[in-house]
Order: sequence, then structure tokens, then C-alpha cells
Amino acid sequence: MADLAIDVRDLTKTYRTPFARRKVDALRGVTFTVEKGHIFGFVGPNGAGKTTTIRTLMGLIRPTSGSVKILGKEIPSREARFKLGFLPESPYFYDYLTVGELLDLAGRLFGLSASVRKKRAGELIERVGLGRAQSQSLKKFSKGMLQRAGLAQALMNDPELVVLDEPMSGLDPIGRKEVRDLIVELRDQGKTVFFSTHILSDVEAITDHVAIIARGQLQAQGTPSELVQKTILGIDVMIRLAADSEPGELTTGADRVRRHGDDLSLTLPADSDVDAWITRAHAAGAKVIQVSPRHETLEDLFLREVADADAPASAKEGRP
Amino acid sequence: MIGRIWAIALNTFREAARIRVLYGILVLVIGANLMAVVLGEMVTNEQARVARDIGLTGISLFGSLTAIFLGVFLLYTEVQRRTIHAIVSKPIERWEFVVGKYFGMVLVLTVLVALFAVAMVGMLLLQDVGVSTAVLKAIVLAWFEVLTVAAIAIFFSSFSTPFMSGIFALAMWGLGRVTPDIEAASRDAAPWIRTLTKVALEIVPDLHLFAVSGRSINGEHVSVHADLVSWGYVAMASLHGFGWIVGLLAIAALLFHRRDFV
Repeated sequence: MADLAIDVRDLTKTYRTPFARRKVDALRGVTFTVEKGHIFGFVGPNGAGKTTTIRTLMGLIRPTSGSVKILGKEIPSREARFKLGFLPESPYFYDYLTVGELLDLAGRLFGLSASVRKKRAGELIERVGLGRAQSQSLKKFSKGMLQRAGLAQALMNDPELVVLDEPMSGLDPIGRKEVRDLIVELRDQGKTVFFSTHILSDVEAITDHVAIIARGQLQAQGTPSELVQKTILGIDVMIRLAADSEPGELTTGADRVRRHGDDLSLTLPADSDVDAWITRAHAAGAKVIQVSPRHETLEDLFLREVADADAPASAKEGRP
Repeated sequence: MIGRIWAIALNTFREAARIRVLYGILVLVIGANLMAVVLGEMVTNEQARVARDIGLTGISLFGSLTAIFLGVFLLYTEVQRRTIHAIVSKPIERWEFVVGKYFGMVLVLTVLVALFAVAMVGMLLLQDVGVSTAVLKAIVLAWFEVLTVAAIAIFFSSFSTPFMSGIFALAMWGLGRVTPDIEAASRDAAPWIRTLTKVALEIVPDLHLFAVSGRSINGEHVSVHADLVSWGYVAMASLHGFGWIVGLLAIAALLFHRRDFV
């Protein structure tokens, strides 16, 4: 078995309301593993169980049943937490502190010496781009700045495993790219990164392994290329029509048709006779600009799996 | 372990300083001493007595109220505002966190007690009155009372809202001050009421042990203006307070240990 950073087996979490005695199954038998040195994307819609899983990994929530090992240690393990960095979802920190004081507090909890705390805090503040905001209290930070401060405190102990709950949340496109770059950089340094998100382009761009969770159950997991179907779902075509002409029969049977001036984009069914269609387009005076096969994307997979989880059991049974 | 507890304590003290609690305390000290000056002028030759009474009442009253105010919010807001998520995911045990928060409060309350004590001693010295050991003993007792009240507030804060914790802590403080009076009042009651009262009073710290001036201890009247209790009594009362502090923090830590931080 490969060297595992996280090993989760049959994890369940049931919340009970104190008076109504109503049960809510937040996690229902979640099982997955994260290999050391990988970037693992944990994807799911809101309320799917991502944050409950992460909080259980971090020892903030006690599982109802199942086992969780972090870096080979059963949780809650203080020894494992020494090698762990954690960014909570929408991080809330002591807003009366400056970012330097926040990092100093984190460093003290990891037992770092004063000189190491000072050196590391300085490096990380610059790394996450908060150099100019060093003297401000966190109260004055924007959401994106708080996210950066949260990332810095998660890295204060130079962790082996970094767990990030929605790290791109609240960031602008530049900030998101910086965080993506940081995650890849951490992996290149040999660290393991586990992060949750619902921004699928981020997952597709950087992860080695993906798991999709919905309604407290894992729906799919594997490498992005393993997960998405290799079969061709359709043919994307772009043509330029002759001036002031209409597409006529060219759009017959197409799944998706969009027109911008004389430019026409459409998706033909996967089993279409593309050569015949192109011949018809030329005959109509159109110029073919692009023809490309359309494969399944992670977004397609995500939508399919989430819809599947939401479908009633009877509907699933009746499906071929 | 000590480093982690100290980190939490220091942060708690810093929070109190940044949210201006310490300035509030300073205003209380100045206000109380101005009152002592005014009252002292009104009562001829009793300025020293007034300074002692105001100073010790200030420590006990404002110290206990500050302890309740800080204590009831301490753990509750950490959970409510989720600041605890980034802390307990680090290599710190939950009991260390509770103890660290308590020690942070101890630092704040000790500053309060010290400011009141220094102001009182200053007032006495201005009036050419020496500082007797009775005053020192009374300050130590009042300090321990405040620290015990802080532990009561933290205990309630570990499982209840600030409002409810505040009510419970105030009730416990008030009852703890008058346990002998309640016991005396129940002496002529029905046996089951006596038993019930006795059991109920067992779960309340005997805070009256710390407020001895003007009371009768072992048949002798004691006063901070003359002879107070012995140092042996101070040690025993402090030990009683210490026992309650350890017990309450242990239960608070146990309750905190079992909680889910959602």
C-alpha cells in the first residue's frame, strides 16, 4: 500500500437535535485515501459534507463511527497535528491581532522558538502578499486578505500535510491563481495538499486526485483523467456563413447553436457524419473555422454525480 | 505544555487590553478613589477607614463583576465566532486551551486587583497611615475570591450562553457570599428543607470565607481596620478557593473536550 497522508474508512457523522430527537446524517460511510505528495481535490455542492469531513479530520468534530488516520496516526493525535497545517472555511481569527501576531501565536502553539517564529512569519507574510498590511489589525482586512493570513498561519510549522477548506473562497482571479500556484509549489516541495472547493476549473488545473461528495456520500474518486469519460460526447463546430445568409438545414439535429453576426457555433451529435455536414456547409458558401471533439469535463461529471445523488432510489433502480 | 498554555493566556490578556477592558478597569479605580476622597472629607478622622473600605470593596465587587463579564464570554465566543477552529487543530490539548484562557483572565484580574491595591495603599500613605498586615491579608483574600469567581464563570461558559452563564455565575457568587446565613435561616425549617439546603450549599463555593472583615470568625470579631484573621486562615481559605478553581476548570475542560465544534 502506498504511503498515506490521510486514510478515512467508513466515516459517518450523525447530528441529533437535542429536543426534537431528529437525526441528520451529515456523512454516510465516507471512505477515501490521500497519498503523500499528492494534491487531492475534495469537491461537492454546498451542504454535501465537505466541511464536516474536514472538521472531522482536524479533530474538531467527533465521528459517529469509522476511522480516520492522519499521517499514520488515529485522530485525535497531537503528534500528527505537529505536522499538519489547516485553513478553516471562511477563516475567523482574533481580529484584534496583526497578521504578525497571529503567526506568532500559531508558532508558539507549535513550540517554535522566538527566532524561528520571527523568521518564518516574515517569510510567509511576504509569500502571501500581506507585506504592506503588517501593521493593520485583522479587523481591517478584506475577506481575501483574511484568506491569505489564514494560508500563512496554516504554513507556519512547515507542515507535511496541508488541509485547506475552500482556500479560493473570497479571492479575486489574481488571488485564486496565486493560491493555485502556492498549492502546486507545496506539492513540488514534497508536501501533501488536501483542499475542498466547488470551483471545478481549479480542481481540473492542479489536482492529482479528485473525490466528489454529495449528500454525505462519496460519488466518485480517482485522477481527473480516470474520472472523465474518454468517449466523445459531441463535435464542436464553428463556421463563418456567407454574408447575409441563413444557416438553414445546417443546424438541424445540433445540440447547441449560437450565432454572433456571421459566425455560427454548434455542437453536433457524437455519431454525426461530420464530413457530409462540412460538405453541406461549403455548398452553402460557409467557411469552416474549427472542428473539435467534445469530451466530458469534470464539470459534466460533477453535475452528473450530484444529480445522481439527488435522484430518488426508485429512479436509480429503473435506470439502465 | 507550559508554552502553549502561556500562548493562550497571553493572547487572552492581549484581547482584554485591545478591547479596552483594562482602560475600563482604570476608570473604575480612579472613580472609586475619587469617591473615597469625597467620602473621607465628609467623615472627620475616618479617611483611612474609608480608603480601606472603598479599596477592598472595589477589589471584591468590581473584580468579581469583571471576572463574570470576561468569563462568561470567554469560551462561548471562541466557539461561536469559530476562532477556536484554527487553534484546536494545532497541537494543543483542549484542557490546555481552557487553562490558558483562565490564566489569561487571571492576568487581567490581577492587574485589576493590583491597581485597586496600589491606589488604596497610596491613599493610606497620603494620610500618613501605614499599611497593616490586616490590609495585605484582606487583599490576598479578595484576590482569591475574584479568581474563584472567574473559574465559576468559565465553568458555565463551557456549556451555556453568556446570558445564562452570567445569571448562574452571579447567583453562585451571591449565594457563596451568604452560605452561613442561609444555613442559619434553615435551622428552624423542616428536616427535609434543612437537608435540601445543606446539599444545595455543598455545590456552592464558600466565598464568604474571603470576605471576613466585620464578621465573627471562631467567636472573635475581625476587622480590616483592627485585627483580621491569621495568615493560617488566609492560607486555608486560599486553599479552599484553589480547590474550587481546579475542580471547576477540570469539569469545564471535560465538557469542552466532548464538544463538537461545528
